[in-house]
Amino acid sequence: MNVMAGFADTIPGERDHARMDDESDLPYRLARIGRLATDVRAVVLEMIHRAGSGHVGSSLSCVDLVSVLKFDQMGPAGGGDVFVLSKGHAAPTWYAALMVSGELDRGEIGTLRRIDSRLQGHPDRSRLDLVDVSTGALGQGLSVALGRAQAKRLRGDRSTAYCLSGDGELQEGQMWEAVMYAGASGLSNVVLLVDHNRSQNDGTLDEVLPLHPLAERFRAFHWHVQDVNGHSHLAVRDAVINARAHRLQPSVIIAHTRKGYLGPGEVLLNGAHSGTLTTEVYRDALAYLGRVSS
Amino acid sequence: MRATRDWFGDALAAVGTSHDKVVVVNCDLASATKTSVFKERFPDRFLEVGIAEANGIGVAAGLAQEGFRPFVASFGHFLTGKFLEIFQSVGLNDAGVVLVGTHAGLAIGKDGPTQMGLRDLALMRTLPNLEILQPADGVETRQMLAYLVGHDRPSYLRLCRQPQREVHDEHYRFRFGQPDVVRDGADVVVFTMGGMVAVVLDAAEALAGRGVRATVVNASSLPLDTAAAGDLVARHEHVFVVEDHFVKGGLIDEVGRIVLHRGRPVRFGSWGVGDYGQAGSPADLYRRYDLDAEGVASRIAAFLHLSTPDTVKGSQP
Repeated sequence: MNVMAGFADTIPGERDHARMDDESDLPYRLARIGRLATDVRAVVLEMIHRAGSGHVGSSLSCVDLVSVLKFDQMGPAGGGDVFVLSKGHAAPTWYAALMVSGELDRGEIGTLRRIDSRLQGHPDRSRLDLVDVSTGALGQGLSVALGRAQAKRLRGDRSTAYCLSGDGELQEGQMWEAVMYAGASGLSNVVLLVDHNRSQNDGTLDEVLPLHPLAERFRAFHWHVQDVNGHSHLAVRDAVINARAHRLQPSVIIAHTRKGYLGPGEVLLNGAHSGTLTTEVYRDALAYLGRVSS
Repeated sequence: MRATRDWFGDALAAVGTSHDKVVVVNCDLASATKTSVFKERFPDRFLEVGIAEANGIGVAAGLAQEGFRPFVASFGHFLTGKFLEIFQSVGLNDAGVVLVGTHAGLAIGKDGPTQMGLRDLALMRTLPNLEILQPADGVETRQMLAYLVGHDRPSYLRLCRQPQREVHDEHYRFRFGQPDVVRDGADVVVFTMGGMVAVVLDAAEALAGRGVRATVVNASSLPLDTAAAGDLVARHEHVFVVEDHFVKGGLIDEVGRIVLHRGRPVRFGSWGVGDYGQAGSPADLYRRYDLDAEGVASRIAAFLHLSTPDTVKGSQP
């Protein structure tokens, strides 16, 4: 089966369409993000299905966040912007985004979680340098992002350190050490996106350890807070632009998402944290996305 | 006599002048770790994260990834206690952080075992890409700082609180992994490091009065060069290791591994801290744990069957 067959050979350039000079390119941008996010979902599903394991729900919930960053808001790889996937178990999403962007060979799609693969179960920079920071044990990514943001500030570099964390991950103490430090330092060149899918290994966030009121907690630590629908590319895009424009405080985007989200009304494996992706479920999901598995 | 942490504070500020990529991440212990000298001279490159070592380690890893050479300093016990963060954010990222762990061994004294760096080596030795350095005196501290700013590998610099005399002259040149023979003998080779080097030299002097010619090796950086350490072992029938650290996981295991890999029988003995440690004055503690010159001499003498120690101060494997 080859879901990649449905891809355009190359991603169109951002201005590669006919339009009047005074016309907003926003509709085009949103359409492009949408199409590429669907590609990412399809690759995530194929990767995890072929690997026989992987956190499919957690990977799907953050596809839209990663897609907005990777395909619309972040500079090119190696260009200064940094992306830290603190919720490292969503590694397939990052690998898929790299494949869709053309930075990672699509031939590696079947190597996820296999011996000697560059596509480790959690992002490992020592094996794949398209990973900015090795992550996996939760709670550590934001601290490293802050170090990178500090370095940029010391150098007078205007690029941004993005960090994507889970919401259950906010139960880790180190996250709040980092939140405290960033707020006190006024590190405004860091943007934290919280994939707020309200679900973790042993159940819902509220069952395990509630974080309510999350926005107020960040505000108390002197962060600029935005609450958005994490599956709305428009909302996420606006929030990221707002976050970068806010030059006084670090910014957090609390992105409300659904675990296993495929599209409106369509959630995989009932939103489970990690469930087995049977061939039947996999095929149904691809069909929903408009892809055909052979 | 000064402590290696004091020499470190001055040496760090000195390399800070010539290396503008050197930054300090401090965890509310600038006066104790002596990064305060750097802070005074380079306030813009001194980042205070507060009493939050895990975050400090992560911030340092991020700075290192961006091309800086961060020194994150705290008591060795606290810093290496954040092992998961060191493993992942520093180790697996191959981030060029210098972890500076001060107050190694029993010397913190009256504060007791919750502050004592007695298992830091055991943890740091497990990481395949991390270099461990522990200077024996001021000369070696300065040499090590020059070495550390000359590359960007993850490193653990282990420093002492107690004042130590100089065991090197200014001609000494530190070479990573190379065992440094500070006294040449023939009957027994004694490996040690850091604050114990001068102590073992004093013990060797005392043993000389009893006809024992001891070679004393300052194993100041790990992993030790296997061939060089093995050659030293080959020249002796008796090998002994002394360290101000738990008996498991540190220098004893490092040297023991080299001895075993050689496959030629030698007699092997060791001495370190066999329990959690306890509160007390440093002098009382080193005496109690047979890690002062007299105690070390008695342990080596017992190993060589010259005598039995006066008292049994806890059994060790």
